[in-house]
Amino acid sequence: MNEYLSPLWISLKTVLVTTAITFVLGIAAARWMSRYKGKFKPVIDGAFILPLVLPPTVVGFGLLLSMGKHGWIGKFLALFHTSVVFSWPATVIAAAVMSFPLMYMTTRGAFEQVDINIEDAARTLGAGEWKVLYSVTLPMAWPGVLAGTILSFARSLGEFGATLMLAGNIPGKTTTIPVAIYFAIVDGNMKEADILIIIVLCIALASLALLAYLKKPKPRDRGLIAANTVSSDILSAGRKGDTRPG
Amino acid sequence: MLKVEINRTLSGFKLDVAFSVNGEVLGILGPSGSGKTMTLLCIAGLIHPDKGFIQLNDRVLFDSSRKVNLPPKDRNVGFVFQNYALFPHLSAGKNIAYGIRNRSREEVNHRVQVLIKNMDLDGLQNRYPQQLSAGQQQRVAVARALAPEPEILLLDEPFSALDSLTKEQLEMQILDLRQFYKGHIILVTHDLAEAYRLSSRIAVYDAGKIAQCDLKEKLISSPVNQKVARITRFRNFMDGVITDIKDKQVSVTVPGLGTNVRVAANGHRNLALNQHITLGVRSEHIQSVTSPGQNTFQGILSSSVENLASINCYFDLKTNSDNCYRLEAAFPKAVAPSLSDGMSYYLYLPPEQMVIITN
Repeated sequence: MNEYLSPLWISLKTVLVTTAITFVLGIAAARWMSRYKGKFKPVIDGAFILPLVLPPTVVGFGLLLSMGKHGWIGKFLALFHTSVVFSWPATVIAAAVMSFPLMYMTTRGAFEQVDINIEDAARTLGAGEWKVLYSVTLPMAWPGVLAGTILSFARSLGEFGATLMLAGNIPGKTTTIPVAIYFAIVDGNMKEADILIIIVLCIALASLALLAYLKKPKPRDRGLIAANTVSSDILSAGRKGDTRPG
Repeated sequence: MLKVEINRTLSGFKLDVAFSVNGEVLGILGPSGSGKTMTLLCIAGLIHPDKGFIQLNDRVLFDSSRKVNLPPKDRNVGFVFQNYALFPHLSAGKNIAYGIRNRSREEVNHRVQVLIKNMDLDGLQNRYPQQLSAGQQQRVAVARALAPEPEILLLDEPFSALDSLTKEQLEMQILDLRQFYKGHIILVTHDLAEAYRLSSRIAVYDAGKIAQCDLKEKLISSPVNQKVARITRFRNFMDGVITDIKDKQVSVTVPGLGTNVRVAANGHRNLALNQHITLGVRSEHIQSVTSPGQNTFQGILSSSVENLASINCYFDLKTNSDNCYRLEAAFPKAVAPSLSDGMSYYLYLPPEQMVIITN
């Protein structure tokens, strides 16, 4: 069983850590760029999206160069006697770099749709930038943020090219499900490949179901309401403390 | 007391205004793009003037010379946006409670209840903004802005999205607001009648500058220039030269008209003989009379438009030169003469109701 469980466990760990990282970094970058008006906007924007348009192997090769023994990040890490290449963190780095553009683009689009007057209204009501972000911008842009999170989750689950370049195929250490599938097929081990494929299908369908559940209509959407259905609103449930002092 | 002196230059537009508000409702009146909303955004700190000074009561909110610039959250300014900008993900009650800080839960609830009662929003507390009518949304927006007890309330065209019946009701509500809100209020509008009903003083904006800022009665009785006169609904203008000044009665020669026009000086002190001036007359002040006399001129009716309570008529005055004067007169239906196009009528211009515009 270990040949199935080990890639599954590594993939799950990688995907969860990666999704958490891209969630935070993607929101931060999207927040910054959605209101940034400087002349470097197209350049920064392009740099953020670059991994999406490059072949994953090229991105992986670039990461390998910069993090390897002679790369600038590699040299910096060597000062602390560590190296990330061909280790488990490399699977996270590769997946994070590849899935970041999806989180960033989707979230930025959602942030730009938020009426700036509504954010300004929060400011005149005494909200600082953090409060504006978590109490107005994020809830209003939530469907987009959610879509970006699911997309980047799926992208990092399927990440293959860059992962293989940067993390390699070390069973029990860096072999994620997509890498394991590839090598199982190459080795003619069809039974192992089939089972891994079924596992991936289950995860993919489960995440789609989760997305559908989280996007179910809210009582605040147009139409009749029962005044007390509000508490079932998953969005307001997370924000019950809003009216308290603070 | 709010003191404002702001200067902001954009490509093709320059805002340069100075005024103060003290415990009253100041109306800012002007056409679109004259800098009204920008002024409010500067006071709230949502945009920054290039140069200037803004003081609210004893606090300096902005001072370019001393590099003071409080962020919006620390200004204690209530802002009602033109589109209300309610939080769509929060119920009406939570919208109102959003800005109340440093209070216990009971105090917050109490304050929300008081505002809901004052703004006539009973029973709507748990509704989301999309489930409210435009008028209800506007009242939630006002309640939300008042909840943190701001020192000044800024209203940006609060009635522009409403039908006329709702608008009238809400205007009454804004007037009633004075009973429980004692701070300063600035109302931005492009509607003279609205500004006149709701405010005590009116600042007329024109292309980023204040053309005139006066008590509303003074503003409509003595506009300083033709722009202000047009914005305050003077429809008829005639250029002329002063030929006689006697006992606050001024005689003005208007080229082409056979007799001089008599007009009351109405507070003008610096009029001089031979001075070139413009006469302004409101359409509703022109009267139709049956016989010739002083200040009475013959006009041919060229067209007329029937309104709800009055008839707007366009007359071409008979002149003895190439000058032509088209007068717009609004006769109440009850006293309107029988009208037919092409007929000649005697039109009386009351000396007390005309204004002299000196520049």
